[in-house]
Amino acid sequence: MESLLAPFDRTFFDPSQRFKVIGTGSLGGKAHGLAVIQDILAMSWDNTSFPGIDVSIPSLTVIRTDVFDAFLTRNELHKIAYADEDDSYKAYAFQKAALPAEILGDLRALVEQVHTPLAVRSSSLLEDALSEPFAGVYETKMIPNNQPSVDERFRRLSEAVKFVYASTFFRSARDYVRATSHRTEDEKMAVILQEVVGSPVGDRFYPNVSGVARSYNFYAMGRARPEDGVVSLALGLGKTIVDGGKCWTYSPAYPTIAPPYRSSVELVKSTQSTFWAVNMGKPPAYDPINEREYLVEGTLQDAEEDGRLQYIASTYDPASDSRTPGTSRVGIRVLDFSMLLASRELPVNQLVRNILAVCAESVGAPLEAEFAMTFDPPRFGFLQARPMVVSQAEVTLTEADLRSDRTRIRSGTVLGNGIVDTISDIVYVKPEMFATTSTRAIADELADLNNVLTSSHRPYILIGFGRWGSADPFLGIPVAWGQISGAQAIVEASIPDLNIDFSQGSHFFHNLTSFHVSYFCIRSGGSDSIDWQWLQSQRIVNDRKFTRHITLPNPLTLKVDGRSGTGMVASHE
Amino acid sequence: MSTQSYNPFETAQHQFDHVADLLDLGQATRDLLRWPMREYHFSIPVRMDDGSVHIYRGFRVQHNDARGPGKGGIRFHPMETIDTVRALAVWMTWKCAVVDIPLGGSKGGVVCDPHNMSQREVEQLCRGWVRQVSRNVGPVLDVPAPDVMTNPQNMLWMLDEYEVIHGGKYPGFITGKPLSIGGSQGRKEATGYGVIFTVREALKDLKLKPQGVTASVQGFGNVAQYAVELLQQIGGTVVCVSSWDQGAKCAFSFRKKSGVSVEELRTITDPFGGIDRGKAQDLGYEVLQEDAWIEQDVDMLIPAALENQITRDNVGRIGKGVKLIAEAANGPTTSEADVALCARNMFVIPDFLANAGGVTCSYFEQVQSNMNYYWNKDEVFGKLDTTMTSAYHAVRETANKRKLTMREAAYVISISRVAQACKDRGWV
Repeated sequence: MESLLAPFDRTFFDPSQRFKVIGTGSLGGKAHGLAVIQDILAMSWDNTSFPGIDVSIPSLTVIRTDVFDAFLTRNELHKIAYADEDDSYKAYAFQKAALPAEILGDLRALVEQVHTPLAVRSSSLLEDALSEPFAGVYETKMIPNNQPSVDERFRRLSEAVKFVYASTFFRSARDYVRATSHRTEDEKMAVILQEVVGSPVGDRFYPNVSGVARSYNFYAMGRARPEDGVVSLALGLGKTIVDGGKCWTYSPAYPTIAPPYRSSVELVKSTQSTFWAVNMGKPPAYDPINEREYLVEGTLQDAEEDGRLQYIASTYDPASDSRTPGTSRVGIRVLDFSMLLASRELPVNQLVRNILAVCAESVGAPLEAEFAMTFDPPRFGFLQARPMVVSQAEVTLTEADLRSDRTRIRSGTVLGNGIVDTISDIVYVKPEMFATTSTRAIADELADLNNVLTSSHRPYILIGFGRWGSADPFLGIPVAWGQISGAQAIVEASIPDLNIDFSQGSHFFHNLTSFHVSYFCIRSGGSDSIDWQWLQSQRIVNDRKFTRHITLPNPLTLKVDGRSGTGMVASHE
Repeated sequence: MSTQSYNPFETAQHQFDHVADLLDLGQATRDLLRWPMREYHFSIPVRMDDGSVHIYRGFRVQHNDARGPGKGGIRFHPMETIDTVRALAVWMTWKCAVVDIPLGGSKGGVVCDPHNMSQREVEQLCRGWVRQVSRNVGPVLDVPAPDVMTNPQNMLWMLDEYEVIHGGKYPGFITGKPLSIGGSQGRKEATGYGVIFTVREALKDLKLKPQGVTASVQGFGNVAQYAVELLQQIGGTVVCVSSWDQGAKCAFSFRKKSGVSVEELRTITDPFGGIDRGKAQDLGYEVLQEDAWIEQDVDMLIPAALENQITRDNVGRIGKGVKLIAEAANGPTTSEADVALCARNMFVIPDFLANAGGVTCSYFEQVQSNMNYYWNKDEVFGKLDTTMTSAYHAVRETANKRKLTMREAAYVISISRVAQACKDRGWV
């Protein structure tokens, strides 16, 4: 398939061939996934099934991995790359290096004709490994690419490419690789230069809707079956979803049924309140090694002024405690996508279901897809696609198991499947020390403990509060996957007074499922529980300000029944 | 080819006349472009180390500056003649025009042999040259550069003298400066890389992929080294290079069928591009006779040494598989050989297109110096590639449209651009 891809001929927007390549090496996992989807769309997608909607992969050019090799070798960057140095030191060293001369004309030709934002994405060689997904490990940089000067646009593009290259060797990425069967030395990076789906409004450029759709739902609730899949939607760039921010998650089989929030107030609090866009306005402070250099976070008020809310927001009236689809009334805006999901003119839900079905059938496995949409003109752009790992082992959990005195953790909402009886270590966040203002410091402590435990090959159970891996430190602990890569089970206890929807950040989520990490959600006020008293009586190995590592004389037993979503951890004194 | 019987300026005029006919240029335009607009002939007194004073003859010829300030090197050569300098100034005009950079054509020279001069004497000569023409050259008039037997150090002395005379800092007065004092990133690679940018495009036209293409290169100086380097980086294989042997007073070809290694050869090459024969043999290279480079069974030849190397006598020995010749050197093909190549339907990238990467990067240096803000290598090579690629495509398109050879098409583009500029200015 790769041999059929067109070499970049210095035409980026080419309707006859949207996928082009520079170089001769590998495409990397992400680009390979898109090449597969392109193939599927060409072979199996009926373009007439949704007339008027352009369903496609946004124009992209992939710089293959041989260019990465040449960049490292010719600039003698290997030593710095593998050194135990700060990320910023490495990023600057990469910025100072020169890209291979043979691709620079292509990059310059690209920015000479493209004046709209570009996403510069990683596509690493190891991402091809299904069981080790590398989701969200490397950096993506959005650039506005709207400066009047070609020179300026070229500089920003080449800086972004070097930044993505440097991220191969950032600490979190190296930690992550260490948790797999690979070495950083095995890794090679291709780079995807992709048109950003969206349209400009004032100084912002963003899609009407971004989404992550999965054809298998590990969190199926109510009438929904796991096979019905799950879709998360957000206003603006997909960063909100993949970083685990607040978004609208629903079952595509029941698109009009809202998530089970306890009250309208809780729903208002739990839905998306800010969004990400590419900053097309005044250039920010020059910072080529910052992933968010050209991103801007807007509020719902900004989006309303941009005219972007009318099809995706409802209006909440506190007086009557009711939600009305649309924004014609005065009130609190709630991003519940209700008009969109009920729309016949733009049947988004049916489109997503059909596409998922076609793609999952073609690849022969459940699939996770990231997409972005514009309404005018109607366009559905595939941004990424990757297969999901679904365990089929049968585990039975009896009531006796769950009620046993030795059951230390119990949950009716568990992600995963299987039995593990080789874990003797637990790392937990001390309940008395937890505060949403301390989550960054907690993440740092956890990274240290993870380093120690992974170095001695000791898998562990990790217990903490709020949404793991959230980019928003007030929603949970903002760890990168590499910082907790040794955890074999993760427990998410709810934060008092803040009942946040479970983690749906696609990168984090994908890593969980692919590494077979069980994920326990402990809801307060139900039958879920953690035996804190028992935890605090165990032998302490490392006691930090916010966190503690304990070790047990005998391994624990961890059981998860993926069919019922129940799970428990039992001790053996 | 004997230099006594060969007058390069007459050749340049013949070439111009041929294209002027193709373009049906008016008489005034012909009269203007057949000759330089200005010539400066002067004497440069230099006090030698032994206390005597030697008078050197110097020149600066400004052929045409309708498209922008003149641009051209300064040659120090014992056999320098005004006609050589004139011809080279004319060719500079066409070279700048074919890559569409806003510069005219100039050239300078001094009749001297730097081999027989001390560094102090050369410095005095450089400063003396500038004193003679400082009113007639400069960042907005005419911008010199290094050429035969002049180097970045010479340029720095000349710049210093110019700045003393004019009482200010004018880094844009001259190009080819050392990187640390106003030079441009990528200058040393520019000519060789520029050759390969055009080769890459020609390979597309010939439906050949760079991966697997083979080449034989004459010379192993700066241009050849970087041409070989980039060709290999895009997947090509260079099986043979030749180089001058100062001791034997002749050239040798060095062949490795699996592909020569630039890094390896650089370790056994002197600063003038001469490869050590003995060490090359130790590294597994076959050492062949001088002309062997031209006989190799390869896809392309890259003459990157001197003028008049592909001649009536050896053109018949070019391998049957050769489909492309990229003229990295100035004037490597005699007109008789050129006719024979045309008869063979050989695809030739003409010298003043193929090797225009050097002057293009000099232009970049001038731009950077004038604004006193310098680019990184990415920017230089990005601009160089797009400039060379655009120029190649313009020539190719003209050749196809008008059924011309690539050389004729390149001249047609250059001369018509310069003629148009003269017309637009109201000169003709």
